[in-house]
Amino acid sequence: MTRITVPVSHPEEVEILAAGGAGEFFCGYVPPEWLERYGGAFWLNRRGPVAGNLLQRDDVSLLTDRSHAHGIPVYVTFNAPYYTPEQQEFLLPLIGRLAEESGIDGVIVSDVGFLVELRRALPGLSVHASSVMASLNPGMVDFLAELGASRVIFPRSLGVDEIAALCGAASGRLETEAFILNEGCVFEEGYCMTTHRSVGALCVQLPDVPHRVLPLTPEAAAKLDGEDRAPARGMMGAFRDWVWFQNGCGNSVTERGIPNGPCGLCALYDLAATGVTSLKISGRSSSSIRKLSSLRMVRLVLDLVEGGASREEAAREAVSIRNTPEFCNAGYMCYYREKAS
Amino acid sequence: MLQTKCDRAASPRDAAGCGVEIGLSFPFLAAPPPAFLPGGASLDETLRGAATGDAHAALAETLLRHLPGAAPTRVYVGNETCERLLPTPRAIRAWVASAREGRLALSLVLPPLSRDGLAKAEGVVRALEGVEDSEVVANDWGTVHRLRSLFPGVAIVLGRLTHKMLRDPRLADRFDSPLAPMSARSALCRSGELAPGFRALMERYGIGRREIDPFLQPLEEDEWEGRGERLSVHLPYQFVTMGRGCLPAAIHQEGKGKFVAGGPCRTECAKYSVEFRLPVPGGGGEGRRLLALGNALYYAVPPHVTERVLTRLPSRKRLDRIVVAIPAAEGKPS
Repeated sequence: MTRITVPVSHPEEVEILAAGGAGEFFCGYVPPEWLERYGGAFWLNRRGPVAGNLLQRDDVSLLTDRSHAHGIPVYVTFNAPYYTPEQQEFLLPLIGRLAEESGIDGVIVSDVGFLVELRRALPGLSVHASSVMASLNPGMVDFLAELGASRVIFPRSLGVDEIAALCGAASGRLETEAFILNEGCVFEEGYCMTTHRSVGALCVQLPDVPHRVLPLTPEAAAKLDGEDRAPARGMMGAFRDWVWFQNGCGNSVTERGIPNGPCGLCALYDLAATGVTSLKISGRSSSSIRKLSSLRMVRLVLDLVEGGASREEAAREAVSIRNTPEFCNAGYMCYYREKAS
Repeated sequence: MLQTKCDRAASPRDAAGCGVEIGLSFPFLAAPPPAFLPGGASLDETLRGAATGDAHAALAETLLRHLPGAAPTRVYVGNETCERLLPTPRAIRAWVASAREGRLALSLVLPPLSRDGLAKAEGVVRALEGVEDSEVVANDWGTVHRLRSLFPGVAIVLGRLTHKMLRDPRLADRFDSPLAPMSARSALCRSGELAPGFRALMERYGIGRREIDPFLQPLEEDEWEGRGERLSVHLPYQFVTMGRGCLPAAIHQEGKGKFVAGGPCRTECAKYSVEFRLPVPGGGGEGRRLLALGNALYYAVPPHVTERVLTRLPSRKRLDRIVVAIPAAEGKPS
């Protein structure tokens, strides 16, 4: 059975999300010592420094206790693109305490060197390779398996066929996880060296800053004055649309409370057929309402698929519950556009 | 061939009397450029003739001031961000022949590879096996792992995309200031690569060279010298970000086909780039210019950053190669 991995940012969210059908939780934890050292300059994980994160270890313990009471494992994300040697020295004992005293079930990391160190220092702890590790090929699956990772989380840019192939490569060695709802990025997150802190998301800004198309050859210069002039303008208009859809369509929820932003619901039939272990709803910093609404949508379509619905029936229901056919038809809101209905 | 003043029979490190190797990268060319042929352009002319103009002209002046008589000793083939530009085995053999004629060493550059891309890349690397002084620049650890198991004798260089550090031109240079908070400075001016886990990976995979960017924030000394491998620095462009959907390719794609990862294209990247001018608070209206080259964004670093890199050359042991990207080698548009 495919599990649904759900973001959680407060112990109070556990009951309602467990009742909604969550199969796993992931959360962030930023201890006060980290904030004292780095303020907002170096985020401990991909959300931060405060929004969407737990700030007290007692809260991690409470969240874990409540989740385990429902049989739901909890994974804590330490998925900054890298940690300096000093930061790793700080984090290793901290993660050790989270495992031993707070009872977490595993961690999510992006730094390959830190993965190696974690496996050496805490061999009993499950380590998931974050989507920020950009695992795109079977060589990466082999690499992670040999390093002792327990799960690979696929990046958003992979198509369903690619996910199927990598799930096959991982079979019997690694669990797998793929995105199903919310939070997009027009860039490959694992190769994006920008930051959102204090300056905002670069991808969101780009369509609105002055820009010009530059020809790189004399022939291209001539075409840009002629047949390629209109298509070049069209390219920038389409880019603006794509960025808009990938970033929540101007509002993170519709008037009816349905989450906007990237979605793979209508491809869920094919996604489940890949054998992927779990489907990720992202958005740790979302409101509890948005988290629950997202979970209900995924749960509904997944239950249909697992109950024997056809690909077409599942896709039709997915589009129906979104109730924004104009967004679905645009195509730019899809994680798995090649499978979109 | 590119005219040089160095003795090509000498090792790259001894060439031009500076102990520094110069590599020219042609990320969008499928075949060797005419400049490889006898009577081709000099390094100075090559850089000044690059389609992106100003950044390369300034670089040529600075490079030759620091490294008088510098000449290319290595050619880079392939694109670091797009697997659609992966050379075929046949193209690689043509590049090898041209490089040999020009007495240049050859580096094959691989982007982060998908499943299909990795399978193709294996064939390309096979065509490079046994070529003297050749190497493969890998930009993802899955490729490193696969190549090391299939080709134990091939020299693997870790590409700059795997060097995880902040490269955001909107704010990175704020950390080039003594006023920046010390803890933030120390964290953002170094990577995690000196930590034991990363060191173990470098040893395990036998990696003797790593590529890095010309960072806006000044790297801590250990980041340069506290490692066992040699360093190559790219100029004049700093890598900023990439996607698997391509902006220039969208010029000719239809409807929903735009920006699909690995979608079809007409190699618009070799014909067009897009320049974005990002406003900078307090910048007096002068924006930071980001250049979309293919599916990636780059930033041409300002002269003082180039100076900072090149000034290191005489006294440092690890940094011994400069890689200069030439986005188009057909000359400036009229």
